[in-house]
Amino acid sequence: MRITRRSLALAVLPLVTVAPAASLPRPAVLARQSTPATIDLVRLGWADVGVPTPFRVSTAGPGGPVLLTLLYDTLTWKDEEGIIPWLATAWTVSADGLDYTFDLAPGVQWHDGQPLTAEDVVFSFDYYVAHPYRWASTAAVASASVIAPDQLRVRLAEPYAPFLDEIAGGVPIIPRHVWAGVADPLTYDGPGASVGSGPYMLAEYQSADGAYQLIANPGYFRGPVLVDEFQQLNTPPETQIQAVQQGELDLAYTPDASVAGLFADDPRVRVFATAPQSIVRLAVNTELAPLDRQEVRQAIAYALNRAQIATVVTRGEPIVGDGVIPPESPWFNPDVPTYPFDPERARELLGGETYTIEMLAGPANREPELMAPMLEAVGITLVTERVDGPTRTQLLREGNFQLGLIQHIGTGGDPDFLRRWYAGEEANDYAQGSIFTDPEFEQLAREQATMLDQAERRATVDQMQVILAEELPTIVLYHRRFYWVYDSTRLAPMDTWGGLLNGVPFVHNKLIFLTR
Amino acid sequence: MGWLLARYLGLTIALVVLNFALPRLLPGDPLDFESATGMNAAVSTLTAGARAQLRASYHLDLPLPGQFWAYLQDLSRGDLGWSISQAAPVRDLIGQRLPWTLSLMLTALIIAGVGGTLLGLVSAWRGGRLDHLIVSAASGLAAIPEFLVAIALVLGRSGGLGWFPLHGGRSAFVAAPGAAGGVIGGLGDIAWHLTLPALTLVLAITASFVLLTRGTVQSLLTAPYLATARAKGLAEPAVALRHAFPNALLPVLTLFGLRVGQVLGGAIVVERVFAVPGLGLLAFEAIRARDYPVLQAIFLLGSLGVLLVNLAVDLAYRWLEPRRGG
Repeated sequence: MRITRRSLALAVLPLVTVAPAASLPRPAVLARQSTPATIDLVRLGWADVGVPTPFRVSTAGPGGPVLLTLLYDTLTWKDEEGIIPWLATAWTVSADGLDYTFDLAPGVQWHDGQPLTAEDVVFSFDYYVAHPYRWASTAAVASASVIAPDQLRVRLAEPYAPFLDEIAGGVPIIPRHVWAGVADPLTYDGPGASVGSGPYMLAEYQSADGAYQLIANPGYFRGPVLVDEFQQLNTPPETQIQAVQQGELDLAYTPDASVAGLFADDPRVRVFATAPQSIVRLAVNTELAPLDRQEVRQAIAYALNRAQIATVVTRGEPIVGDGVIPPESPWFNPDVPTYPFDPERARELLGGETYTIEMLAGPANREPELMAPMLEAVGITLVTERVDGPTRTQLLREGNFQLGLIQHIGTGGDPDFLRRWYAGEEANDYAQGSIFTDPEFEQLAREQATMLDQAERRATVDQMQVILAEELPTIVLYHRRFYWVYDSTRLAPMDTWGGLLNGVPFVHNKLIFLTR
Repeated sequence: MGWLLARYLGLTIALVVLNFALPRLLPGDPLDFESATGMNAAVSTLTAGARAQLRASYHLDLPLPGQFWAYLQDLSRGDLGWSISQAAPVRDLIGQRLPWTLSLMLTALIIAGVGGTLLGLVSAWRGGRLDHLIVSAASGLAAIPEFLVAIALVLGRSGGLGWFPLHGGRSAFVAAPGAAGGVIGGLGDIAWHLTLPALTLVLAITASFVLLTRGTVQSLLTAPYLATARAKGLAEPAVALRHAFPNALLPVLTLFGLRVGQVLGGAIVVERVFAVPGLGLLAFEAIRARDYPVLQAIFLLGSLGVLLVNLAVDLAYRWLEPRRGG
């Protein structure tokens, strides 16, 4: 029972204020360690995500939909580089961008041994019309039809650029023989409710404990599954890192960069830094004075020493961006207008006026204390109102705010979310408070959603990022990486192109459990 | 007696109304998810139509009186509703979680009640240095809130003393340890997991039993009937246990009833810190998720439970102290 230096350091982790993090090698260096041939068990520390069916899994956070990716398959999938074939081995798109014809992989079976055919895929899209999959909307799909047992066509209502990524790659294909007879999937947990075609089969869900036991699918169509068993356990965030250190878990995350230093010389436990797919930003109510004026919004951006805020809070290298889309995203535009820390310029923009501005923040946010003196120095008094998540969401939705400090993931995925935010089409918490009317932005946003030409779409999305950075309907404070602490003898994490699903910085893409 | 029951009935009705109203007084909406892990996603693409459909399926679109009426109808059928955040019947959730909270609470209450009372008795009877020591320790403990004790225990554990598990109520998916293990092994595993959470609660509530018993017994020390007992030639332990103790029991019993509510509150904190899958943790999660049906059910069960214990104490009081007739 020796008290090691590291365990002491872990115990005081939340108390230390600024510990310079050892600058991390990027994932490419840390990842792709060779994994032994077969591993008996990998345990992920997370939360209870509810009954693991596509209709009952919790969509509060990404843990549920990501768990489903191990049980179910999608038509397409993503590796480090981009979209890859999955259940569909090949596809063609009609010239008008409306018809996608998919060829299915041969010999795919459901966990109960029944064959997976085009009938199942078509059934899935039909079933999701009446019973929406909450994580990815299939509203863009007009119809789906069987061409042959191993071929099908999906017809869109209008061309939809993110289709292959967000819908074909995000919507779990479900077995017709299970769900065809289920009228109310929101209450169904009968036979086959978690039967998919994925690399893992559900062995047990202990609902009181929020613990999931998955075992390898022996007949998986992509070849042998290398880890026999996968468990997702409900663990308090405060003790997750200690649990990996003590061997009670094999994978857990923290947004605290200083964790890298703690395991610098550990032979077993390593740290994997994801691309910065989490954002900390201010939603701005552009309809209320004085924030309806662009120069006031810009003055705030100039007044904040965002690198310092990011360093203090994340304890790592600051990643300050003036665009919503993070650096390292395939859609990042490096040429957006920037707002370096410049209090003098901020005072000029304010023209000697002083303001009092209210900001909503979470109970644990440290940014307000750091921001207040910076804003005070240019003549803005910041009044912070601390509320919990649902309260903040309600106030943001009602437009009952001036500034809202929010942090969330999802910015590293397909950039269509920029359109959905400001078009009011995204109903999740953090799209709330997106208040911005700009005809040019709206036009570009609509156009990019239907563009099939990648270069053309990229140029349009670049322009959208420039408008957002000029107009600042949201002020980005910084982008964050997530630091996954893992047992390197059991798994090798990976970063997925644009994040798992649509911008989720989880590192257990199902590819790491397979021979590639 | 009739008046007593009428009073409890009135309280029950007030509780049902309050339990319905309180969760809805919180700002926010059950469909504004908050992830328990804090890694919130801006990726769920719930469309406005799907959102409306969900609201309707949970009756959230009805005006409040309509929701209350639906709630009363469900309640009269014994239906506690459907959890919005967990997509499961509330009855099942509570059925799974209740045994954890009950075992934690009862263990803590019995250890603290019996141990604290005996310590208080000894303290008052023996006096002197021992009394001093016990009173100082109890006063110190009484001043520390549960969460501080819990965090201290968690930190002590993470500081290398890996004697107890970090979290949870039992080991997940551990294969039954052979024929010999089975149920006994499983119970041992649970006891091992619950040791620190129970210890936290015990430390938090023992002090009040010690101090109250000590105070009551001290006030009896000079009572004439104790002199009589001694004059009969009874030994000191017999005088203490047979003559002083029963008379000190009444206030302790009241305290026991009062502490049930406190322990239930403490269980929320303790279950959260140690991730014990009890009602407290469920309540914590439900508050974050604004899960009205779950909150209503837990509040209702909790307050009815406290009410029942109080009723039992009221009745026991009448039995122990016949002069206090109704």
